[in-house]
Amino acid sequence: MSTDKIIEVRTASPVEGIGRRPRRGAFSSPASLRRWLLPVPAAAVFVGLFIAPVAFFFAMSFWRKKAMRLVPDFTFENYVETWEKYAGVIAITLGIALATAVLTTTIAFAFAYLIRFKAGRLGPPLLFITLLTLFGGYLVKIYAWKSILGRDGILNSALLWLRIVREPLTIFIYNPGAVVVTLTYFLLPLAILPIYGSLRTIDDETIEAARDVGARPRHAFRDIVFPLARAGTLAAFTLSFLVAAGDYVTPRFVGGPYTAMIGDFIEQQFSLRFDWPMGSAMSFSVLAACIPVVLLAAACLSWSGRR
Amino acid sequence: MMRAMAPPLWFAFGFAVVVFMLTPLVLVVVFSFGRNALTSFPMGGLTLDWYRALFANDTFWGAAKNSGIIAAAIGLGSTVIGTMAALTLSRLPARYAQSALHVLAFPIMLPALVIGIALMAYFVRLLNVPLGLPTVILGHLVITQPFVILIVHARLTGFDHSLVDSARDLGASPLTAFLTITLPIVRTTIIGAALIAMAVSLDDFIVTFFAIGNGNTIPTLVWSMVRTTLDPSINASATILITLTIGATLLALWLSRYRG
Repeated sequence: MSTDKIIEVRTASPVEGIGRRPRRGAFSSPASLRRWLLPVPAAAVFVGLFIAPVAFFFAMSFWRKKAMRLVPDFTFENYVETWEKYAGVIAITLGIALATAVLTTTIAFAFAYLIRFKAGRLGPPLLFITLLTLFGGYLVKIYAWKSILGRDGILNSALLWLRIVREPLTIFIYNPGAVVVTLTYFLLPLAILPIYGSLRTIDDETIEAARDVGARPRHAFRDIVFPLARAGTLAAFTLSFLVAAGDYVTPRFVGGPYTAMIGDFIEQQFSLRFDWPMGSAMSFSVLAACIPVVLLAAACLSWSGRR
Repeated sequence: MMRAMAPPLWFAFGFAVVVFMLTPLVLVVVFSFGRNALTSFPMGGLTLDWYRALFANDTFWGAAKNSGIIAAAIGLGSTVIGTMAALTLSRLPARYAQSALHVLAFPIMLPALVIGIALMAYFVRLLNVPLGLPTVILGHLVITQPFVILIVHARLTGFDHSLVDSARDLGASPLTAFLTITLPIVRTTIIGAALIAMAVSLDDFIVTFFAIGNGNTIPTLVWSMVRTTLDPSINASATILITLTIGATLLALWLSRYRG
């Protein structure tokens, strides 16, 4: 695809191919064979500690719990029960996750666009702030919003202190809005980076060339910038959507009675009920329910890029 | 539509996003020094009492030690295996390398809850391994390795492999070639990647929570503090967590001579 082409063109070394050892025929000598052993540990981690556990966990969704013991089986009961008991919760979860992902991706796109094309010298500092907050405490960020939005929290006490309100307001926390704001908060830097990454591959010359041959700014954006940013935008959307759909700490801290999210119930199967097969069926049900949304988003993005 | 927006609007938007990104973290730090036990205005005078209370607490030191052990093991392990993988990926045609990177990044895409409970079930039920620090380290390898591979690979795109090949032709062993040619070029990037991996590891709550069994790291300690008590030391421990993770990120950016 075209972004890769740009990377290739830019990075191709002028002396490429001058070295005597040919790039092809990688297995031709023992030394190059050894080279292919380099990624083995990483592959082992990926397969042994990611694929295998997830596969085993998936198999467990067909097990059953019998008198506090987990018995291997092949039953769909857990899925049936998930559907019967948690269909509503999954729907709410997907709704909150979708709202979060759309909000996060929109802000992230505009901010990445600002960094790349509009901010000029301020671009690098803005990117720097983004990177800095990227790893700054997942739990701390959620806790921070709890202490901002709470009844005795920072926002209410500031409003009281400034005599804007007489009584603390309870509208800020324990509602879907608080969950969406908090999720958006910690997902935003994660969403900005892939979008910025794809915007960075766009040459100024390409856009200038389009402008030179008479493209209006709007058209240059639609025909050049947006198509090239599509992969990063979709990555940002998918990441924020999936992480939001699986989060259980945020709804527990700032969500209320109407924001029961599925992650919360999944976690309880492990911390309270010891019904791991049920927890597994719930996990894979919500992941399966996420797939159509991601595919739809991909379809929307590629459709919106066309005339 | 984007281009039609006037510059002042862009400025206001950028300013609003920066305020949104920074304010909550700044507030946590500020309130960790406030005399008022509640996280609310007015915050009272300045005090170090909450830090004193925290540092007098053995649970905190136990958690800090565990976090340190895990982060050190990840800084070493994840960095070595991630760099090894990135070296190979950088020799592949860009198309294949990109596909491989997408697949290897799956663990970042999936909710940490699924990874955490899948790992716990796998260790406890299939492998019969007792949960503890080693299982947390294994879990953190999964979630940090993609970052190391992505960062080191990004630096190695455009790396002139013919330099290494020439050294090999002249009789250098693969290790010598790596140490004398590749490493000096990518060393700062590798250290940066190690720091990012450590930041991710220090910051991780969910995978740790499921893989640790008993025991605490700083994030699980913060979790139990937030959940059970209204301990004003929460802000102090949260600030320590912010300092560690952002400190590691800052160092990584500085070392890799972050150019924007």
